[in-house]
Amino acid sequence: MSAPEAPETAGYAGTRVPRVEDARLLTGHGTYVDDVTRPGMLHACFVRSPLARAKILGIDTAGALALDGVHAVLVAEDLNPGVHEQWYTLIGRDSPDTPRPPLAEDEVRFVGDPVALVIADDRYIAEDAVEQVVVDYDPLPPVVDYVTARESGELVHAAYPGNLAGELAGPPLDQLAPAFDEAALVVRETIYQQAYAQVPIETRGLVTEWSAATGELTIWTATQSPHEVRLFCSRLLGLPEHRVRVMTRDTGGGFGQKVVPQREDMCIMLAALKVPGALKWIEDRQENLLSAGQSRHEHADARIAFDADGGILAAAIDYTQDVGAYPVPWPVGTAAAVGMFFPGPYRIPQATWSTACVFSNTTGRNAYRGPWQFESVARELLLDAGARRLGLDPAELRRRNLLRRDELPYFNPNGMPYDDITPLETFEQALQMLDYESFRKEQEQARAQGRFLGVGTCTYVEPTTAAMALHATEGATIRIEPSGKVNVYVSGGSAGNSIETTVVQLTADALGAAIEDVNTIQGDTAVTPFGGGTGGSRSGSMTAGAIADTAAVLRERITAIAAHRLEADAGDVELTDGWARVRGTPDSGVSFAEIANLAYFQPEALPPGVPAGLEASGRYRPEAPIIWANASHVCTCEVDVVTGKVTLLRYIVSEDCGPMINPNVVEGQIAGGTVQGIGGVLYEHLAYDEDGNPVTTTFMDYLLPTTTDVPDIEYGHIETHSPGPGGYKGVGEGGAIGAPPAVINAVADALAPFGVEITRLPLSPAAIVALVDEAQSRQTGESA
Amino acid sequence: MKPAPFEYHAPAGLEEAVGLLAELGDEAKALAGGQSLIPMLALRLAVFDHLVDLRRVAGLRGIERRDGSLWIGAGTTQAAIQRSAEVAEAVPLLARATPLIGHFQIRSRGTIGGSIAHADAAAEYPAVALALGAEFEAMSPRGGRTIPAAEFFTGMWTTALADDELLTGIRFPVRPARSGYAIEEFARRHGDFALAGAAVAVELDGPRIRRCGIGLFGLGPTALRAAAAEAELAGADPAGVDAEEVGRLAVSALESVPADLHGSAGYRKRVGAAMVARAWQRAVQEAGDD
Amino acid sequence: MTDVDIQLKVNGTVRRATVPPRLVLADFLRVNCGLTGTHLGCEHGVCGACTILLDGEAVRACLVFAVQADGSEITTIEGIAAPDGALSPVQAAFRDHHGLQCGFCTPGFVISATALLQENPAPTDEEIREGLSGNLCRCTGYQGILNAVRAAADPGTD
Repeated sequence: MSAPEAPETAGYAGTRVPRVEDARLLTGHGTYVDDVTRPGMLHACFVRSPLARAKILGIDTAGALALDGVHAVLVAEDLNPGVHEQWYTLIGRDSPDTPRPPLAEDEVRFVGDPVALVIADDRYIAEDAVEQVVVDYDPLPPVVDYVTARESGELVHAAYPGNLAGELAGPPLDQLAPAFDEAALVVRETIYQQAYAQVPIETRGLVTEWSAATGELTIWTATQSPHEVRLFCSRLLGLPEHRVRVMTRDTGGGFGQKVVPQREDMCIMLAALKVPGALKWIEDRQENLLSAGQSRHEHADARIAFDADGGILAAAIDYTQDVGAYPVPWPVGTAAAVGMFFPGPYRIPQATWSTACVFSNTTGRNAYRGPWQFESVARELLLDAGARRLGLDPAELRRRNLLRRDELPYFNPNGMPYDDITPLETFEQALQMLDYESFRKEQEQARAQGRFLGVGTCTYVEPTTAAMALHATEGATIRIEPSGKVNVYVSGGSAGNSIETTVVQLTADALGAAIEDVNTIQGDTAVTPFGGGTGGSRSGSMTAGAIADTAAVLRERITAIAAHRLEADAGDVELTDGWARVRGTPDSGVSFAEIANLAYFQPEALPPGVPAGLEASGRYRPEAPIIWANASHVCTCEVDVVTGKVTLLRYIVSEDCGPMINPNVVEGQIAGGTVQGIGGVLYEHLAYDEDGNPVTTTFMDYLLPTTTDVPDIEYGHIETHSPGPGGYKGVGEGGAIGAPPAVINAVADALAPFGVEITRLPLSPAAIVALVDEAQSRQTGESA
Repeated sequence: MKPAPFEYHAPAGLEEAVGLLAELGDEAKALAGGQSLIPMLALRLAVFDHLVDLRRVAGLRGIERRDGSLWIGAGTTQAAIQRSAEVAEAVPLLARATPLIGHFQIRSRGTIGGSIAHADAAAEYPAVALALGAEFEAMSPRGGRTIPAAEFFTGMWTTALADDELLTGIRFPVRPARSGYAIEEFARRHGDFALAGAAVAVELDGPRIRRCGIGLFGLGPTALRAAAAEAELAGADPAGVDAEEVGRLAVSALESVPADLHGSAGYRKRVGAAMVARAWQRAVQEAGDD
Repeated sequence: MTDVDIQLKVNGTVRRATVPPRLVLADFLRVNCGLTGTHLGCEHGVCGACTILLDGEAVRACLVFAVQADGSEITTIEGIAAPDGALSPVQAAFRDHHGLQCGFCTPGFVISATALLQENPAPTDEEIREGLSGNLCRCTGYQGILNAVRAAADPGTD
């Protein structure tokens, strides 16, 4: 047997391998949910509440039903009784939860609340029919502002006094009184962040197809977790799990919005059993901005105590978030994370926190990339404010307080067990990439010319790959097919995170296969192993674990077969590039094709004890409950104080996500998250007027950043290994956490000569002009 | 987000088009490039029983010199205007305003006539037409007429055009010697409608200003002329003019300045004053260098 | 309402159809022609995901009625690569520079970039940014997209 010469380097992990997804997506041959068409498919459209809060007195569907092409108009009494069980695997059956009816029953609770479901031949007719459904509403006073909701006499849900969905807290603040009382400086501010949202460019949607004869339901949907959709749906409808099949080929972005099914998804699942064939619902953009959820809307009374040298003595945060009318899923646990992570990657001896979730008559809060992001916003703003008041450079203040590697493992004062992180290293690297000192000189010169430049930073530590409930394990099945080509099956749920490419890279390495011989199949619950899908910055590490465990079984089998065939010791067999070779004799070997041929078609020729076939399944369960990752963001900007326009000049991210499986993918995730964070500070605002009417329900009003609004992003990498497989860490969410504080601090730094302190978001141009005005009139007042 | 049903008409001639508009009355709407109308139809903010598509109507497109003016057919796309060397030479302000309209994928369909007839208060072309003193040619079953820009924009999204009257062309004065032009706007993002903007045309006569036209957009229910500032500048020596004062004067008498999530009326006026000042400075500099 | 007969050429193939006047061109391409690469992200002309070439110019397919496209020639994303599947230079640059993640906005970006470079083969960085500012992406932060178009504009500097 003569084999091609073994390649010098076999590792695909760590290289910028081109994505396997791209050929189909670049040529228009992806399959998103709206691309799915089934014979006889009908189309759904929701009738939605135009009022923030009202009693439903009656619904007249006659006019809609009279239209040609309209098949049904379903209301709550048609759909809601079909619910068997309704809870998310992500949270667990026994967790407390908040109300979540599919269609509104007797009361509508936000503008956009689904009231009825029209089913028609096509979406055009369905929208005509929606206009003909007459709902008789008796308006009620809405609870629009979550900040005052706890004192409101009106209740969003009657069962929740004070509109309180839930609250949690650490030790009493009193315990920290000595530290705060004796501190040289306490910086205390109420910091407010406006609502913004995930806004994937593909909206939500699903296609259902019910077969009454076989009792099988097939669902095509845009989701980050096909298996969660299947489990949820089987419970919702009382169908056996194996009679529900969920298929997701391509999903056009999720960012948390597509982690679990929401109310509209429930309605379509329930309606699926009531229509003769397939049913499609594709949310339009206005619905998406009305009803697909909000995030980030929150404020806190936050304080940090410093000694005279800028050393941090204590930190405390009293945090409240808006959960809208129907949060998805239960928000209280995630809110507590804001409190527990508030100390960040700093040496802080004492801390406490309290967190509250408050209902309002607005769209429900749901998961968004780094849901606890406000911990970094509050902390990093206070640190800059503290530095200004102490007359210290904010970089110097951070240097004095950032955790050093020799202090790890380190329990933060709220009990979070940090390890394998490098906050000081990423911070220094980012400052060096900027050349911080020379920027400060440039800033000084610019100020002398009446130009206002600023620099801001944020350093954070984040939990990734939290292994709980739905996310506790991940499975893989690897089939080396009879020709030696490889198929890898994982749960999938990619919404843009390149997990197909990642799987192919990792599997090729794990098996010693050539990358072009590896293919992956994902997103079809009928054929893929159960898995949690995309969320919580877990895909890389968890999938790596699942593949490593599974491939190990096949490696052993391949090696045994090859050793037998080559009459060598198994310990001397190396697998590279789809060949098994004996170490030291690179020109002889046996190909995977030949090994597969033996394994499938000549089982009698296999060595004793080696099973036939080359297929294995494995399930990875991580030992570490959390893998910590960290990063530093540094941003510079110029502010035009006449118009309030902020121009970002340089943007640097130094991160430690462990070894990179594919640097392109890592950098893409960082950039995407970062630009979402920039958008959240400078452009995006999911706003309501005082009557609870949403005012940003089109892309003309809800402003996403574009190519002209973002700087070039520069990346620095620090690499420490996590305890997980390959040493990998999660990187999906961090950009969206680190960017807002860096941008806010840069603007605040630019405006420091005016005495501006920023505590309220977003930083629209008008808001910036107002901040400068207020600071100037305050100074005028003080000097008068 | 699908439009309500409508009947579609695609007349081949102008007479037929205005005849249809006359016959169908306010149930009909003329469809040009559709870049403003179709989003409103998709959102069902506007519903019409009939759309009269102008794409087959002859004589609505083109850019040519006529009687000392530059005539641009109402159906001429913004992309064609942007590419036109003739426009750049004869009406530089129009050429400079065009890239500010939306994005190039919008400009490839959007027409100058559609933009003017739609009369969005925050759009660039109406303000340019006001600053330059353009004239609009309109046709109805009763015949043609010419409407000066200053008399055209009558209120929010309303114009001097009758229901059965179509804008057919716009006449812009050809740039005289010793003139300068600038347009400045402030928008949340590139391509968005401006929060405030100003188009300025300055003509010099010896050491003095012969004419200064200032068109404001985003600062009222319609595009507006800054008449007080224009009057103050006419005959003045530009060397003695304080740009910031021009800006202040231009916005001082404004009423009904819009306010929304993106900025209060006061903010818009301030930014508007800055845009006038910046545009004035650039325009007068160019006129002086000319 | 009265349906209208139309005839147009899509990716070189003549299509005849009788359509309701309100049928948006993007829906005509997706549903009637089965060309689902043209994506709908907002349906009101802002996101750019539905961008196609109409008589050679980039337009929003959600802001054109199918009846208005009667007699025109259309190229969708499916018509950009060679018939044998070879990627166009713009498509190849997107692949080589991580210019896409979820891929939903990608067809619109590829079409816009293609049109931009046809009109201006050597754009400045500012012209590239302006030219792409009418397309929204939520995954990439635009970094890979900008790099791709820079490279496609001038493959020599890659």
